[in-house]
Amino acid sequence: MDPFLTSRIVTDVLGGLTNGVTYGLVALSLVLIWRSTGILNFAQGAMPMFATYLGFALLSYHFGYWPCVVACVIAALLIGGLTERLLVHRLYGKPEINPIVVMVGFLIVLEAVAAAIWSSTPRSLPSPFSSIHWQLAGKPFALSPFIVYEFATALVVMAAVAGLFRFTNLGLQLRASALAPEVSRLLGVRVGRLLTLGWMLSTVVGVITTILVSANFFSGLTPTVMDGIFAYGFIAAAIGGLESPVGAIVAGVLLGVVNQFVTDYVNQDSVIIIALAILVVSLMIRPSGVFTKSTQRRV
Amino acid sequence: MKLAATSRRVALALGVGVVATVSALVGTSTLRDGVALSLAFDLAFACGTFLSLPGFKWSHPVVFRAALTLLGLDVAIVTTRFLGSSTNFNLSTGAAMSIVLLGLSFLTGASGQISLGNGAFMGVGAFAMAIWANHHATTPIVLTLVIAVACGALVGLLLGLPATRLRGPYLAGMTLAFAVSFTFILSTFSSWTGGDSGLQLPTAAVAPRWLDGFFHAGTSPLITTTLYLTDLSIVVAGVAFFFMANLFASRTGRSMRLIRDNDVAAELVGVSLPRTRVVAFIVSSAYAALGGALLTLIDNSVSPQTYSFALSVTILSLIVIGGIGTISGAVIGGIIYAFSTNVISWITTQTGLNPQGNVASQLNGIIFGGLLILTMLFAPFGIAGAARLLWHRVRSRTSG
Amino acid sequence: MITIEGLTVSFGAVQALRNVSLVAETGKITAVLGANGAGKTTLLRSISGLKEPNTGTIHLDDQSLVHKRTEDIARLGIGHVPEGRGVIGEFTVEENLRLGAMMAKVNLSQGLDEQYALFPVLGERRKQHAAKLSGGERQMLAMARALIAQPSVLLLDEPSLGLAPLVTQQLMHTIQSLCESSDLTVILVEQNATSALRIAHHAVVLHVGKVVANDTASAVSADENLRQYYLGLVE
Repeated sequence: MDPFLTSRIVTDVLGGLTNGVTYGLVALSLVLIWRSTGILNFAQGAMPMFATYLGFALLSYHFGYWPCVVACVIAALLIGGLTERLLVHRLYGKPEINPIVVMVGFLIVLEAVAAAIWSSTPRSLPSPFSSIHWQLAGKPFALSPFIVYEFATALVVMAAVAGLFRFTNLGLQLRASALAPEVSRLLGVRVGRLLTLGWMLSTVVGVITTILVSANFFSGLTPTVMDGIFAYGFIAAAIGGLESPVGAIVAGVLLGVVNQFVTDYVNQDSVIIIALAILVVSLMIRPSGVFTKSTQRRV
Repeated sequence: MKLAATSRRVALALGVGVVATVSALVGTSTLRDGVALSLAFDLAFACGTFLSLPGFKWSHPVVFRAALTLLGLDVAIVTTRFLGSSTNFNLSTGAAMSIVLLGLSFLTGASGQISLGNGAFMGVGAFAMAIWANHHATTPIVLTLVIAVACGALVGLLLGLPATRLRGPYLAGMTLAFAVSFTFILSTFSSWTGGDSGLQLPTAAVAPRWLDGFFHAGTSPLITTTLYLTDLSIVVAGVAFFFMANLFASRTGRSMRLIRDNDVAAELVGVSLPRTRVVAFIVSSAYAALGGALLTLIDNSVSPQTYSFALSVTILSLIVIGGIGTISGAVIGGIIYAFSTNVISWITTQTGLNPQGNVASQLNGIIFGGLLILTMLFAPFGIAGAARLLWHRVRSRTSG
Repeated sequence: MITIEGLTVSFGAVQALRNVSLVAETGKITAVLGANGAGKTTLLRSISGLKEPNTGTIHLDDQSLVHKRTEDIARLGIGHVPEGRGVIGEFTVEENLRLGAMMAKVNLSQGLDEQYALFPVLGERRKQHAAKLSGGERQMLAMARALIAQPSVLLLDEPSLGLAPLVTQQLMHTIQSLCESSDLTVILVEQNATSALRIAHHAVVLHVGKVVANDTASAVSADENLRQYYLGLVE
């Protein structure tokens, strides 16, 4: 068993899954915002990054890891809510270009301001679990306590989001606001507030992802830490179809595995090129995504 | 009747050509350099335009545009004789950038598509120019520029084909992915592209022998070269703008605007949606490549770090601020770009910031990103658009 | 009771409603008739706050509805079944009803039972996706969804649209008995004037945004001159 578990293929698959869940989480947030507000949030990586910096700024006041995480979540709620109220709110109903341009601008500003305040030097975040990989019969195994924590967290988040949407009244209202905003308002649903909530939730999912990523990659937290992951998350969301949360997650995970194999068998540089090629091919085959059903929205 | 009209035209053209040649031979001093060169250029261009029109009329819109372009080039070329080298250098980069902006303005404004990858297309042109020059040093500059443009157009075709089927966000994301992966594409082919350090041009761009007399604006070859390159950039930009103005007003341009405003109406009218979209994409990438190739000439080198995603965002900001879908917007954006480094360092000193510090180095991003957001929220048509609105308001008030 | 006075609504240069005044009395069915483009849907959308009027007042009893948000108006007890029904296809029948019940302080299971009793077909299909329902079933679902919140006012926009005559008959019958059993104020917008007039107490006829008749249903039925307006025979 051991030789199998430490074999190249398994190592690549596990490594790929590790990255893949982060892509899946980013893709999920993108899909959530797309479905509820029709906006593609290019700042989906930068907003949580900023929240992470804010939350972990408490480290210098001798707060521990978990209190900082709580602070990050609070910061994420604030940033998500404020962004929706102040920025996004004005973009509803505008031509498609406007939100794209504004969110790209927002991405640049957030990264620049973060670098201005905290510099671009990577910061290492404390980690509640060891990142040292386990050994099996003397050979390195692809998992470490931290990676298991990462998987577990990702699964919990995905399950929580799924549960929220499927089983709760709030989730029903969120789905209704996304599918049929006008009808929902006629039924007394406070669509405006729910949209804000949607952005807040999305940013919280993002901040959890950022915390995991910043601690795992030995390079730590930088203003641009989420750039690559956002790119792959977007590609996954686009391939899976911006309409489908499940498709987004699945595409993200698969993309992570593919990337890992490409890194291993080809080289690091080719990863994004191949991902781009996959994106182009899948969009040529199914321009609205692989997992999108063409159902009518309102009857 | 027809014979008389034609012979009149031929006589006019000949006469004008003689005047042009004589003026060209005359210039030796600084001001006369500029004036003579401009005149010569004007008249040669005018000849070409006159002779190319089947039913030539003074009021013909193409002629009007040509006259306007020539006037603009006149003023610019003469002005460059009076400006310092560093200003000229800035102007030349501004001119190169304005070409790129024009391409994006056209794509976004005229056909409603968005591209976050024009920085990468610039890179395609830039590297095409450098690679070709390194392998075929004797090719005249103009020809190399054409080759660079062709490369840009080709890549534009490759990406434009899938792009036609995509809606806004998907297209934006795809071009973003292209922009992000461009650096990696460059390093994959590092044997051609010179890896991290990029490429140098084998010989600095100098004026052709027979134009040599016009650029003795100063004694040092650096000043002469800068002057030459500035004028070259401005002229190339002028030609690019001229073509764009005509394209905009042509049937192709009109069908593109139809697509931007209403897909369905365009299909009903018989405009082939995918084809028109691809054409717009190719034009935009060709223009970006031209701008990039010019930049390589101006800098005499090309490096991969320049053509990053950040550049694509800068391009987007500049045209949004200048005015999407307008030609003047591209000019405004180019001017802003030309002097942005100066402005930013001025701001740095005025506010007493440490020039090596964190804030100063991020000022570029903060300002451009911030302007992008604010412009898009409150003045989505940019400076050019706002000016146009103001103009209409003034006109309606005085006439109504 | 809904009181509308001097309502003018325009879309840019086009005036959809001009100086419209009417009263929909509590416990009565008021039919609003007229040809396409007469402004009937705009009237309902203005009541619900989906369209801001230029001038005029809309009152629910003595509360003004103008300038209020749609969701707040809905929570005041105004149930609006829009044009096209607005049934959410991706939701099940039960999820649609749950959504409707959310704003009201009603006991969900009790509310569901009541609606399933009123519309047994919905009870049979409660777990099915709404997209799979027939036209008549969707109409029932849309109505049940509005009714489950126990509104005091019911706005119905062309409920008979696309439905077979028999189904329309049953529908009208249901509306009538609902109105009689509770103190529901019903504003019934219909192109199918005949069926509407049969159950209505009061009728208003609109023609290009103006009120051309405002009388008891029987009076409007009897008036032959009015028929041209709601049968769409006048330019």
